[in-house]
Amino acid sequence: MRTSINKWTIYSLGDHAIVFALAPAIDPHILQQITALHQYIEDKKIKGVLDLIPSYNSLTLVFDICTFLENINQTNEDLTHFGEALIISFEKGKKEVQQLTNEIIKVPVCYDPIFALDLFALSREKHLSKEAIIEIHCASIYQVYSIGFLPGFTYMGTVDPQIQMPRHPKPRNIVPAGSVGIAGPQTGIYPAESPGGWQIMGRTPWVVFDARPTRLSKFKVGNRIQFYPITKQEFDNMNEYN
Amino acid sequence: MSIRIIKKGIADSLQDHGRYGYQHLGIQPNGCMDYLSAWLGNAILQNEIYHPVIELHFPSAQIQFTSKHTICITGANFVPVLNEKSIALHTPIQVNEMDTLSMLQPIEGRTCYIAFKGNFENPLWLNSHSYHGNRFEKDDVILITDESPLFNSSAQINPMLIDKVHDFLFNHQDPIRILPGPAWQDLTADAIQKLLNTPFTISAQANRMGFQLSGATLSLTTPNNYLSSAVTRGTIQLLPNGEMIVLMADHQTIGGYANLAQIILVDLPRFAQLKTAHLFKFSLTKPATAQNLYQEMYAQFKH
Repeated sequence: MRTSINKWTIYSLGDHAIVFALAPAIDPHILQQITALHQYIEDKKIKGVLDLIPSYNSLTLVFDICTFLENINQTNEDLTHFGEALIISFEKGKKEVQQLTNEIIKVPVCYDPIFALDLFALSREKHLSKEAIIEIHCASIYQVYSIGFLPGFTYMGTVDPQIQMPRHPKPRNIVPAGSVGIAGPQTGIYPAESPGGWQIMGRTPWVVFDARPTRLSKFKVGNRIQFYPITKQEFDNMNEYN
Repeated sequence: MSIRIIKKGIADSLQDHGRYGYQHLGIQPNGCMDYLSAWLGNAILQNEIYHPVIELHFPSAQIQFTSKHTICITGANFVPVLNEKSIALHTPIQVNEMDTLSMLQPIEGRTCYIAFKGNFENPLWLNSHSYHGNRFEKDDVILITDESPLFNSSAQINPMLIDKVHDFLFNHQDPIRILPGPAWQDLTADAIQKLLNTPFTISAQANRMGFQLSGATLSLTTPNNYLSSAVTRGTIQLLPNGEMIVLMADHQTIGGYANLAQIILVDLPRFAQLKTAHLFKFSLTKPATAQNLYQEMYAQFKH
């Protein structure tokens, strides 16, 4: 199944998922459409939908084959109609759901050398002082485009080209929880200790993924985030990992 | 009432039908690699088919029962022995306090399941018993309360179904059926030909996250940068070196490699049971066919 309607492309992903996609671009306006569609479908509470997964320019609907097909009373040929009808009704009611996220979440980051494993090398590579790099990293407002790799790992963009740096060719065996890294145009926070190849700029004292069911991921796709620098002393006072 | 792990295996865990509803937060679904064998074991014990089971890989954990239990072993044949005495697969087995279950040799398949009569009492996480990335360690205790309800002979599983499922799972001649994914159109004609006509095997790089394949290497018409998007269990990704990886139960929620195709859900248990030595081929099918096959399989487990 593959069909287009307005700016949307709808296609099957295997036998138990459907993808709603817009033009492939890292663009806050596209992301906003994706998160609005996510909200719209979620509110419909369609029986048999197991997951709705937004990422950059796509929303993937994963379904339980038996429950979902029985519920929408359709065979696979008709999934096209299901997808098209959904987009049409979504676009009709869209005007009210604009401007979802004006709020900016301010996230503290300590850029002290004991946390900022790669800041010194980055400073030399870019011929910029550490202070200048920190200022640039904290100046941008980042959009959460995707969550994956680990529970709660945010892929945020876009990093100022002046401080962009590709990931390490060989990942570190251990990156501590809370580490804030950059990789090309993306920045993100490691929610748990794990292997990782991103350039580590500092560490946040916030727990960004908490396994308790009422907490889970601190951030969602579509959130807007800005970092601000804190001292080692402030980090210790705010440290949620203790 | 409980069981205790007295020797750890390479990757054994408690699994059920998976943890859905949290993939937008990056939380993997997990669940049984070969869900059909889990359904079968549960059906033989007259449990609900999504009931949690113990999943064993080889070399497997050694398990001691601290009380009486009724179990059923399905899936791979690892030559199960209870206190050094061979026991049958696909049969309810009564075990007693201090009995020890071991697996001797992987003669057929890759993943073995133990279903239990009774309820698992370990805490759920996000509505699922499935372990997420972790595995059984030595001295782990799994609490199971067995109310030992009497078997209801009228609800007994059709014995034909046992043979049917077994033959389906371990018939390695039939191709693994796939549906083209979003990056299928970016494969060269030669790559499509190789993908559909040459045999592959599962490499030694195979775990609950994914099975890397050995065989022909494939290329794309143009090197392409894909924006990361959701993947599913059964997604076949093309790695930068031209090799393929099939994502399995512990897969990450999103992926940025070329998404070539999806193994259809009904064939995933067959694929999960393939051993490293087995040559297999892929063949294309249609989504409606794939869904009908799954619905038919599911219907056989529902009375």
